[in-house]
Amino acid sequence: MTIQKDSEQNETKYLHKYAEFAGKRVLEIGCGEGRLTWQYAKETRSTLGIDLDADALRVATIDRPSDMENKVYFSRALSEQLPFSKETFDIAVFAWSL
Amino acid sequence: MVHALSEIRRVLVPDGILIDLRPMLSKWPIEVVSAREIRETSRIQDLPLGLADDEAANQSIAQAEQNGWFRRDVEEFFPFYYSWDAPSEMEEWITDEWHDFIQLEEASKRATRSVWALGDADAVVRVKVKMLITRWKKERTGDKE
Repeated sequence: MTIQKDSEQNETKYLHKYAEFAGKRVLEIGCGEGRLTWQYAKETRSTLGIDLDADALRVATIDRPSDMENKVYFSRALSEQLPFSKETFDIAVFAWSL
Repeated sequence: MVHALSEIRRVLVPDGILIDLRPMLSKWPIEVVSAREIRETSRIQDLPLGLADDEAANQSIAQAEQNGWFRRDVEEFFPFYYSWDAPSEMEEWITDEWHDFIQLEEASKRATRSVWALGDADAVVRVKVKMLITRWKKERTGDKE
């Protein structure tokens, strides 16, 4: 099956219209396989994607471009119990998850 | 979900922002699209479980706003397109991936197949998903709970 998602890239356009990612520390909740992550992560200081789906996280890690290896990470975590200290991130993205 | 929003507030810096990006059910249109034209063939049927999910999300974020955790800064809707080469592929996707919250009625299937079959050679089928994006600003002041 051939499926195209957001061929007009509206999601990317609106995401960048709503947030300035350059130099920011970003937490993405519900990152899945990283489809949305790759639309903005290159600009960030660091990006951490979390999800409960271990298989999806594995795909995201495999797909991670080499130039993002030192700043984009994925982790299995519950959004109701975030394993981070307070005031760690500049931006949180709730990606298709609320 | 309210607890997740509380956690997000905790890990955000004082001037931090939350971007909420999600689809909203609203009888998404099905379109047959070619270089020459776009034709809406029918609409998808929303199911109670999907509508309940949307309502639960709305209530959670409203609660977070009421608690003084976040302030709604700006929001708007935009279209997100899922496209397939043929109606059968769209039907398969909806059955496999979206069956919990939407359904495609037989009349919609027939209408889409018919328009696509009689359409231009480059015609594809797409669903126009209604997306909501909202920017929330973390409130500096405490908790109104």
